[in-house]
Amino acid sequence: MEIPYTVTARKDTGLFNSKVGIWLFLASEVMLFGGLFSGYVFLRIYADYPWPERALPIVPGLINTFVLIGSSVTVVFAWAALKMREWRRFQIFMGITIACAGMFMVLKGIEYKAKWEHQAVRMDDFAIIEGHAHYGAVMENGEVDHFHTKLEAKKAGGGKPFKTNKILFRPATIDFSVVRAHEPWIAEMLEQAGKRKSKLVTSGDVFFYGHIEDYSGTESDPLTGKDRAKQEAKIVKEFGKAEENLARKFGKNSLYIPAGTPLDYGLIKKARKAYIAGRAHNAETRTAILKENWRRVKEILPEKEYWEQAPVAKIDAATQLDEQFDDQGNCVSGSKVVSLVSTLSFRMDPPQPLVIKRSWIKRPVKAKDGKAELRDDTTLSAGDDQDQGAGLLASPVALSVDAIDFRWMAQKAEEAGKEPMEVIEQSWIFSKDNKHHGDYEQIWKVHKKRIGELEQELADKYGKDAEGKPKRVPTETDRYRVTWQDLVHYARAKKDSLMPGDAGFDELRPKFWDGFAGPNHKDEEIHKLHAFPELEVPHHKVSMQSMFTPKWNTYYAIYFTLTGLHGLHVIGGAIVLGYFLFFSKGLYRRNPEWLANRVEIGGLFWHFVDLVWIFLFPILYLM
Amino acid sequence: MADTLEEIQKAQKKYILIGLILFVFTVVTVAVATVPWLDFGEHGFDSKDAVIGLIIASFKASLVGAIFMHLNHEKKLIYVVLVLGVIMGIVLVVLTGWSFEDPIEYGDSVEGDGFYNPAETVNQD
Repeated sequence: MEIPYTVTARKDTGLFNSKVGIWLFLASEVMLFGGLFSGYVFLRIYADYPWPERALPIVPGLINTFVLIGSSVTVVFAWAALKMREWRRFQIFMGITIACAGMFMVLKGIEYKAKWEHQAVRMDDFAIIEGHAHYGAVMENGEVDHFHTKLEAKKAGGGKPFKTNKILFRPATIDFSVVRAHEPWIAEMLEQAGKRKSKLVTSGDVFFYGHIEDYSGTESDPLTGKDRAKQEAKIVKEFGKAEENLARKFGKNSLYIPAGTPLDYGLIKKARKAYIAGRAHNAETRTAILKENWRRVKEILPEKEYWEQAPVAKIDAATQLDEQFDDQGNCVSGSKVVSLVSTLSFRMDPPQPLVIKRSWIKRPVKAKDGKAELRDDTTLSAGDDQDQGAGLLASPVALSVDAIDFRWMAQKAEEAGKEPMEVIEQSWIFSKDNKHHGDYEQIWKVHKKRIGELEQELADKYGKDAEGKPKRVPTETDRYRVTWQDLVHYARAKKDSLMPGDAGFDELRPKFWDGFAGPNHKDEEIHKLHAFPELEVPHHKVSMQSMFTPKWNTYYAIYFTLTGLHGLHVIGGAIVLGYFLFFSKGLYRRNPEWLANRVEIGGLFWHFVDLVWIFLFPILYLM
Repeated sequence: MADTLEEIQKAQKKYILIGLILFVFTVVTVAVATVPWLDFGEHGFDSKDAVIGLIIASFKASLVGAIFMHLNHEKKLIYVVLVLGVIMGIVLVVLTGWSFEDPIEYGDSVEGDGFYNPAETVNQD
């Protein structure tokens, strides 16, 4: 079938059809990105925390802008080449365009990767610490040790290293919800326990009632043959001979788990089946009891209206009746509702530390509570072993620090009508509880001096207004945030500080404001300078920790949404343009004008992708 | 639309020129944001820097639209479609803004500015 108007224009529109199509699509894209940009604007205007201004490295963003603009030029050249029927030229320019798309994505990938490599911690006093989390390892003796790198942790021979943003808990018992227990987490706990030569076994005998289809007597006992004999044998062991008959009425899917059974997910699954069967039985039984009650109530109070009968026929009255058994152990009257067991309790023998992701945790874990609740309703508890070292272990977030940021703390202080600097200097980082407080006091002293100099410099340069206030003052970021780039200046000078205007300051000052073009992290000397003194933020001071991912704050959420969606557009565009480059020689031979039109359409989309980036770059990187 | 070969030949020089202008203005926008003596308004980022940055970005975007996407000489239908898209985009922005003006009061707000603020909430116990 011939598609109409792909080469020549329609008379009424004056356009070939696919051009109208792409513009309709681009108009919808304008709305899509428009909506997201407005999302950015409102998130920023109403942010209740200091927006991370100019937080991204400028240079990669700048290169990416050049790359996209360059590719926009080459894609029109590719189109022009087709118009002039120069296939070779088309190949070259289209090739460059696609290479540009690849380069853009590589740079974007590097940028994204860095976000996942950096650790941020928000403390309970709103101080923010950025850096690289250290690695911890659980040694053979059950002690936990911290190392700067994963490699060091591995060499120390303490099993699988973990990032120190996790929680360490030495449980005496773990209770799993039979319904909600999450298989991967169980697998993870089993693996860790296995590595530490510890076992997880049921702490007591548990019996799960199953679905008892008919409760009237042993004749309809659903357990038959071998299964029945097996079950009976177990139950005899558990409840003794006297209860033998009673045991036979526990029903289909009933389950007996003796103490000391090792944990595996299959066991939980069986228990879940039994629990659900028991619940189904209870539901049916309650309905039957209620029906029976209604029947009786109607007999007793036939003249009453149903709303007067209803309170009498309530279900609880029936279920609370005591069970009556005959001498065969058959239930002859009373409640048929069985008790449900919804948790399976396991003992950890011997108790060993488990590394728990903070994202598993349901609510903050406090040492004094002696337990940790996970989101799948699993509870790790220290039980009576708390004296023997069970419970929450010291789980500090240990990091090599890149920056300390007090902007939020300052904001909170101002809201409370306090002097920000005083609040900052009384905070945990500068307190005796922080074993590196001396280093941080030193840094802060140097930093304050530098800010004083900057204040002076700005006042001298731009003068004061009528009220005598300086026209320009250091920003909040200048005042309340210290980064490793700042430290590079101080440390290289081998003296207390190096100020703007001092000899040598300008060559040390990173070329770009936020310092990406500053010293390379691979440079050994710089690497040393890069590192702030370490910090170990105690567990109870951590109010939130995250990589620089959407979870960290709304800035990163909208950053990843916008750039991620834009990146997908780059990939999509590159695939389409790549198709034109690699699979369209035949079409070029048959109908070059058609291919030229196709490339024009692909090019229009590509320009749009460029256009979106032209806005993304300043708002995300420069503002 | 550059239709004839001569026109296309001629247009190529224009494309290079526009590309260069875009490069230059990219550097300008970075310079405005990073070089101290080009810092407008207050010291550091502020609304003036935002406006300047967005003006430069809009200028660059309109160059891309007008020249690379041939919007300087397109058929009427394209403009209709695009303008409708832009209007709807603006509507989306306004609607988002509108949601922030929601007059519903939450809780027992004493100040009654319409926004929920736990600190303002009166404890009725």
